[in-house]
Amino acid sequence: MSDTTYGNVATFDTRPDMAIPRESPLSVAYHRGSVPAPSRDGQVLLEEKPFLGHLILRGGAIVLDEALREVLGINLPGRPLGLALDESGECSVQWMSPDEWLVIVPGGEEFELENRLRSKLGEAHFAIVNVSGGQTLVELSGEKARDVLMKSVPYDVHPQNFPVGKAVSTVFAKASAILRRPAEDRWELVLRRSFADYGYRWLLDAGEEFGIGVKR
Amino acid sequence: MTQSNRLQQGGRIDRSRVLNFTFNGKTYQGHAGDTLASALLANGIDVVNRSFKYSRPRGIVAAGAEEPNAVVQLGQAEAAQVPNVRATQQALYDGLNARSTNGWPNVQRDVMSWVGKLGGGFMPPGFYYKTFMAPASMWMTYEKYIRKGAGLGRVPGENDPDIYDHMNQHCDVLVIGAGPAGLVAALTAANSGARVILADEQEEMGGSLLDSRETLNGAPASEWVEKALGELAGMDNVTLLARTTANGYHDHNFVTLHERRTEHLADTAPLANGRRQARSRLHRVRAAQVVLATGAHERPLVYANNDVPGNLLAGAVSTYIHRYAVVPGNKLVLSTSNDHAYRAALDWADAGREVVAIVDVRANPDGDLVKEAQSKGIRLITGSAVIEGKGANRVTGARVAKIDIDRFAVTGQVEELVCDTIASSGGYSPVVHLASHTGSRPTWRDDILGFVPGKVTGMTPAGGAQGVYILADVLHDGAQAGMQATQASGIDTVAELALPQTDSSRESPACALYQVPHEKPTLRAPKQFVDLQNDVTAAGIDVATKEGFESIEHVKRYTAMGFGTDQGKLGNINGMAIAARLLERSIPEVGTTVFRPNYTPVTFGAIVGRHAGELFDPERYTALHQWHVEHGAEFEDVGQWKRPWYFPQRRRAEDGERWETMHEAVARECLAVRNGVGILDASTLGKIDIQGPDAREFLGRVYTNKWAKLAPGRVRYGLMCKDDGMLMDDGTTSCLGENHFLMTTTTGGAAAVLEWLELWHQTEWPELEVYFTSVTDHWATMTVTGPDARKLLSEITDIDLDRDTFKFMDWRNGKVADVPARVFRISFTGELSFEINVQANYAMHVWKTLFEHGEKYDLTPYGTETMHVLRAEKGLIIAGQDTDGSVTPEDLGMQWAIGYDKPFSWIGKRALARTDTARQDRKQLVGLKPTDPRVVLEEGAQIVFDKDQAIPMDMQGHVTSSYYSPTLESGFALAVVKGGQERMGQKVYLPMPGGMTHEAEIVSTVFIDPKGERQNV
Repeated sequence: MSDTTYGNVATFDTRPDMAIPRESPLSVAYHRGSVPAPSRDGQVLLEEKPFLGHLILRGGAIVLDEALREVLGINLPGRPLGLALDESGECSVQWMSPDEWLVIVPGGEEFELENRLRSKLGEAHFAIVNVSGGQTLVELSGEKARDVLMKSVPYDVHPQNFPVGKAVSTVFAKASAILRRPAEDRWELVLRRSFADYGYRWLLDAGEEFGIGVKR
Repeated sequence: MTQSNRLQQGGRIDRSRVLNFTFNGKTYQGHAGDTLASALLANGIDVVNRSFKYSRPRGIVAAGAEEPNAVVQLGQAEAAQVPNVRATQQALYDGLNARSTNGWPNVQRDVMSWVGKLGGGFMPPGFYYKTFMAPASMWMTYEKYIRKGAGLGRVPGENDPDIYDHMNQHCDVLVIGAGPAGLVAALTAANSGARVILADEQEEMGGSLLDSRETLNGAPASEWVEKALGELAGMDNVTLLARTTANGYHDHNFVTLHERRTEHLADTAPLANGRRQARSRLHRVRAAQVVLATGAHERPLVYANNDVPGNLLAGAVSTYIHRYAVVPGNKLVLSTSNDHAYRAALDWADAGREVVAIVDVRANPDGDLVKEAQSKGIRLITGSAVIEGKGANRVTGARVAKIDIDRFAVTGQVEELVCDTIASSGGYSPVVHLASHTGSRPTWRDDILGFVPGKVTGMTPAGGAQGVYILADVLHDGAQAGMQATQASGIDTVAELALPQTDSSRESPACALYQVPHEKPTLRAPKQFVDLQNDVTAAGIDVATKEGFESIEHVKRYTAMGFGTDQGKLGNINGMAIAARLLERSIPEVGTTVFRPNYTPVTFGAIVGRHAGELFDPERYTALHQWHVEHGAEFEDVGQWKRPWYFPQRRRAEDGERWETMHEAVARECLAVRNGVGILDASTLGKIDIQGPDAREFLGRVYTNKWAKLAPGRVRYGLMCKDDGMLMDDGTTSCLGENHFLMTTTTGGAAAVLEWLELWHQTEWPELEVYFTSVTDHWATMTVTGPDARKLLSEITDIDLDRDTFKFMDWRNGKVADVPARVFRISFTGELSFEINVQANYAMHVWKTLFEHGEKYDLTPYGTETMHVLRAEKGLIIAGQDTDGSVTPEDLGMQWAIGYDKPFSWIGKRALARTDTARQDRKQLVGLKPTDPRVVLEEGAQIVFDKDQAIPMDMQGHVTSSYYSPTLESGFALAVVKGGQERMGQKVYLPMPGGMTHEAEIVSTVFIDPKGERQNV
């Protein structure tokens, strides 16, 4: 069933139930062949994590916190700009604004999660929106990853100001992006689908002097 | 050529590395560690340029950023040309190629100099304005030759091969300047754990300590510099930026630093590790605190012929000797008003060359340096000054006389000393430029005879930048500033730094001397230059004040003093002092002009950074972009989106096979939709998911029409107005569930509409329980439209497409090509249409499957141009094309989409009742049918009712959309016409440039299928 109604809201599983060819937001770049292979002396590595489940959660923190803990096992980040991950590191909840969170789960789990959250939240005022097709996650690692970010975002990415577990929405070149730090040695960018190719080109250009490579 | 002025020993150059370079076509040698200026002086090059206005020969005056004359054009290849480079700031590299920027045909034989010489008295300030004023139309002709004669270099004629970038930096303490004060401030802050950036514009950090005669801890000062820099380089919390100029100081401690990364290596950036590297980088620094340790510029004295090559700043002489082992002459006369400048004479003598005399304006100087000079047997002439230099292409002598500063007169006999170099010092001006960038006015201090930086929040000046000149005091001041800035940045515990021991000498007080009197009055004396770069003389300032320019800002603009790339580094204070004397005011009363960014020129590349070429602006792609590219689409920019404009095909014509023109492609695409089936990528439409129990109520307030009864499964078209009643955006909104809607917006309006909704929700109606989320990028939208649309779609969907169960303005869930889809039966073409929405990751599969099945229906992809024609044939507007922010829904004849009796006063309702919005003769949307069907009216063309009226005619409206319709086989248009809705059938006229006048008839906006039957089939 791709179509369910919870109360007065129509939910919709946008994933097909059979194997269908799919294309990530970076597919145009891949078709173009601009995929520099990682080199031995490269100091930045870029890897797309395509086709994950992305949900936007809107609502009051207290209501959502309880439901999320029960359904996903993650506490809602208590502080602004917080990023919380589960033990596997595969599920995350990010503070976006005082009543908005971004939940990212392994691809295919988002519809089930939405339905479970909806039945848990019942009549409370909230919104859940599936945006999985609209954005992609790009991971940056390597010793010069932070330098590439300094060329790209005005936000202060120094570890003192940007510890693990922080996430911001910020200006990225002439567009915007979500920037997250899930681990000591990794950064994540969440790029909007239509801006993803621009962001990717920008990163390759900014990373050129550090021998940026793309893992596929 | 030999380096005749190079000393055998000393200096910070590497004599083992010989570098060849070319200046004005001749080859010379210098050493690693030289600047272009020091290498030119080493080779005895006197004339490096011609002056801007009078074309006088000019030599090197200074050793740093304040150099006014040695401005050169750099670069071997055409693409690598760089204008406006100061030779004093350009490190020498092997193969460097430089030319003088002024002087045509060359610096030695210059055409303009005859103008300058003849011009002596004929070129007062305002010369060009006055002389070439009439006739005004000839200025463009005059200007071409004036510019050729007097310019400051030229831009390259080819594309720059280099790359540039920006780096965003944040720190607790930004220290600008790595001289003694800056180094100590940086060490203090860094030792306390602050994040520190230390930037210095020179090739080497150390500032005045690199050319000092003084010792620190008993060793040469440069040794302490090396140790301090080593310490700083080893700290994680410190970023050292050499060759980096703070070029702009903006609000809130946002400072831009221009780092020249490869300009000391070659004229185009060499590869590093086999990869391209940025030639220069602009650091965009957001600093909690700034320490301004920019030091001071020495002021030259203003005497007659003070611009003849061989006139230098006293401090520059010391710098060339200490850092570059270059003595720029053989026989020196020093003219000074202070003790500090005596170092030049002592260094000169130590280098083994002759000091003819030290001419000191003070009656009884007695500081330690004075005594040292006397003990070396140097002739000291007191109470006097050099009043005039002799020579043309090089100084040949100095005329010296006793002067009376108060009476501004020469009081004694003139003695002429034979020499080839005149060094002068009229004191020191703290470098207040950066502080001034913020709008803070500098303050005059009589005790130091200079302006110091005004107050800037979060900025602490240190050392020479605030008039502290004795080394021991400078170090102490730097430590204080470092401590203060560190604490202000939020670090409580500041580690105290052990300052090095100095052997500072005692100095006697300086004397205030700016312009030196001459036997002749200023207007008759040989030229006494104030601003060498802009050729502003003391006489020019005299004339300006006599002509009534009393404000220093007016004097500046009349004379050009402190203009352009120079920004008054050497001349401004002298100029103000001269103006003050002439106006009989004090210097603080006259005040300063405003120093503006950039401190020194910044290459455009650094400002642009990586925002160039394909990264100039974001290109937004839909999920189907790759298909469009592969199928030869021509693209149109819609906002930042790349949308297919049309899909040209190969066609066989009389002249052989060729690509369709746009007109041919659009005609083919239009007919395919009207007669068969076409497909459009409509993914760029804005889409907003709206959830909450008050979603419906909210829609009723932001749209003009009614939403109370729209049932789940249904779609409605809506108009959105601003609070002034003018149309803002339009689109369809679907009811997905009782509390769940999907709004669509125009492509360009998506972001603005979401912000609009949030604005009203957050500020006016926070009590409404509703959330908005953009899903524009999540869904890809494919519009299948045309009489065959149902047949095609039914082949690959499980949705019942029966006309009675899935009606016009319904939506249904189901699968299309095995992918879950929402299909909306809405039409922007007037034909039977299905808008298929699927998750964007699967869109390409669905699109390709449609084409597999569409082959037998000749499924035709179409672009935005065909979309425009088809919608206009149906009279469907595009917000922003047929409206312009001054058009109400009533002007559009859309009263059917206005809920006048809705219970809540929706946005724009009150405005529609205003007298002006309610009047009958407003411009209203109508259709136009040109009398001649071959005519396609110009969009924007003005409409008149009386074609014979004399100009200026009464403009009654204008064309908003106009196309050729292959279906009507005629041009047609939408237009807004005053009172148009009451003028159906009337003729209007469109006068065109060139005299032709088109005639058209006002008709309905709906040109095809007026009953709307085709979309309902």
